[in-house]
Amino acid sequence: MGMTLDFSILLLFTDALALGLWTTLRLTLLCIVLGTTLGFVIGLLRSSGNAVVRGLLGLYVELFRGTPVLIQLFWIFFCLPLILGVEFSNFVSATIALTLYMGAITSETFRASLRSVGREQMDACVALGLPRRAQIVNVILPQAVLRAVPTLLSNAVSLFKESALVSAVGMADLMFIGQNISNNTARPVEVLTVVAAIYFVIAFPLTRAVTVVEQKLLRKFSA
Amino acid sequence: MADMRDGSALVEIRDLHKSYGPNIQVLKGLNIQMMPGERVVVIGPSGGGKSTLLRVVMGLEQIQGGSVRFGGKPYISAKGDKTVIDTELRKQIGMVFQHYTLFPHLSIMENLILAPRKVHGESRASARERGQKILERFGLGAKADAYPSQLSGGQKQRVAIARALMLDPKLMLFDEVTSALDPELVAEVEAVILQLAESGMPMMMVTHDMWFARNVASRVIFCAGGVVVEDGPPEQVLGDPREERTREFINRVFHIKA
Amino acid sequence: MDYTLDLGAVTRNMGPLMDGLWVTLQLTLAANAIGVIAGFALALLTTSKLAVLRLPAMLFVEFFRCTPAIVQIVWFFYCVPMIFNVFWGPVFMGIVALGLNLTAFNAEAYRASIQAVPREHLDAGIALGLSPTQRVLNIVLPQALRNSVPVLLTNGIGIFQQSALVAIVGVADLMYQGKTLATATYRPIETFTVVALIYLAISYPVGQFVNWLERRQSYS
Repeated sequence: MGMTLDFSILLLFTDALALGLWTTLRLTLLCIVLGTTLGFVIGLLRSSGNAVVRGLLGLYVELFRGTPVLIQLFWIFFCLPLILGVEFSNFVSATIALTLYMGAITSETFRASLRSVGREQMDACVALGLPRRAQIVNVILPQAVLRAVPTLLSNAVSLFKESALVSAVGMADLMFIGQNISNNTARPVEVLTVVAAIYFVIAFPLTRAVTVVEQKLLRKFSA
Repeated sequence: MADMRDGSALVEIRDLHKSYGPNIQVLKGLNIQMMPGERVVVIGPSGGGKSTLLRVVMGLEQIQGGSVRFGGKPYISAKGDKTVIDTELRKQIGMVFQHYTLFPHLSIMENLILAPRKVHGESRASARERGQKILERFGLGAKADAYPSQLSGGQKQRVAIARALMLDPKLMLFDEVTSALDPELVAEVEAVILQLAESGMPMMMVTHDMWFARNVASRVIFCAGGVVVEDGPPEQVLGDPREERTREFINRVFHIKA
Repeated sequence: MDYTLDLGAVTRNMGPLMDGLWVTLQLTLAANAIGVIAGFALALLTTSKLAVLRLPAMLFVEFFRCTPAIVQIVWFFYCVPMIFNVFWGPVFMGIVALGLNLTAFNAEAYRASIQAVPREHLDAGIALGLSPTQRVLNIVLPQALRNSVPVLLTNGIGIFQQSALVAIVGVADLMYQGKTLATATYRPIETFTVVALIYLAISYPVGQFVNWLERRQSYS
């Protein structure tokens, strides 16, 4: 290969990259919190609620699970303002899009974990005469939430990765700033490799953590 | 004895019909009358409806016909497609299952005090005090703060029994409570049940352990094909059955060539 | 809203969209062909006893699992020509980039299902006097392959959706054609909605099929 690599060029842009990373992290954390909350509520409503509510929410979930996140972003960035007649900042648009996406996948996580609480646990509740409220609040929900934790963590890692898509709609996250530096310096190999490495350094420990948490929970629920 | 109608029975099951779906009939007109203080052990071949019978008495199942009275009052009855269950009476019955069914996210003590607090509104302190006493009685005093996953099967099953007793039940149901246990852990659970039996707790039990059945039962019911085939004292049903089907079953489980 | 819907802007231009869809399908099918085959080979490497084989394989898998797909694709399109001095057509570049990504995810799926084969089954194989090769071919692989099918399909449909990312580096797929059309006609709502529905119309049935398959497998 007829090229020399010079990673020192990145040192000129540490501030810009840090700023981009900060935007990425801020956006990701906010959408994790909002999206998980949304997903929890929707998961519950889809597990009970009336048929119309269930149907509409099912439509929402399938729409966001069945289409590329990129087109969801484009839709929220370019179509939603036209429909509502309101302009949103990039950050708000990105938050809406990623929260809706996170809500959809997380609601499926909660639904699956609610179903995974066995029928025997319900039998035990009845045998103990627990009122309906206590059955749900004290027995079913805590177990469902605990069982959901590993998948919720992987959802969070996914969202961290998906957040890089906001660069495509012009939001100055880590990926966007990396691409800009890469274009301006004509040094894509060094710059883009470092950007990839930054994402990796954050996502990798989190995926390990998912495995550890999963094993701990498996042991707990083997009872 | 099916004609005893003076209402003094603790449990009175009449003409009980139960099916799963349209094709699988499990109970086909079953009658049992259990007097206060009795310890009834139900034996019989797999699929004969023993566990279903206990689940019906616990109020866990819909029934298609018949009724159950408890303490002289109407408790469960089939009304058309619906099963009417008196949930207040149901609270006086406790049940222990084959697979422990402890709540895995709660500590042992929390498992014990959840129902007394939520069902009877007992204070946490008072429930804990009673819980600790029961745990100590069952040799589990040190395990109050442990979680179910940290206990052996035998310990879990003793906790499950303690949890049911916290509500001061007037009847205890045991559904194959030692079947999932390693052989060396069976004795500790059976000892706890015998202890309860000695204290006069009425119980109805399904077990495959014929020796234990003989030890604990005041009465044995042989159930097959969804009906009661034979009903009598343990010496009779287990030792010298009158019915041919009971005799075959007993001989088979005791490995005696007929 | 001061915006009147005009679906005609989209229906008059279905030609480019269908061309784009065809590119998207090519990307998806070819990437899946790579992912299903290479993923299996990679899974065998990640379960190898030799560290020289296992560690690079695991690094490959983790790199693709722990970085955003868009970073991978942009990196691939900018850096591969520079580093290796090769110049492939954009669709072929897209196929390789998506194929490598899917290879990593499928390797993980294969590995998980190989490890999910119960230890007792291998013990039974030993007890029956089967050779190590026979044990792998007759006991491990049939079960592992069968169990991995739902995840492979889920990953496959995932790459169908991820393929929209190549629009960012100028591959004329469905997403790219949609973007171009939205700009040219000033009809973003109609265009992006129709494009989204086309993606959904393909993802959804496959997703339902996977659900059905999983239910069936969990019964048996």
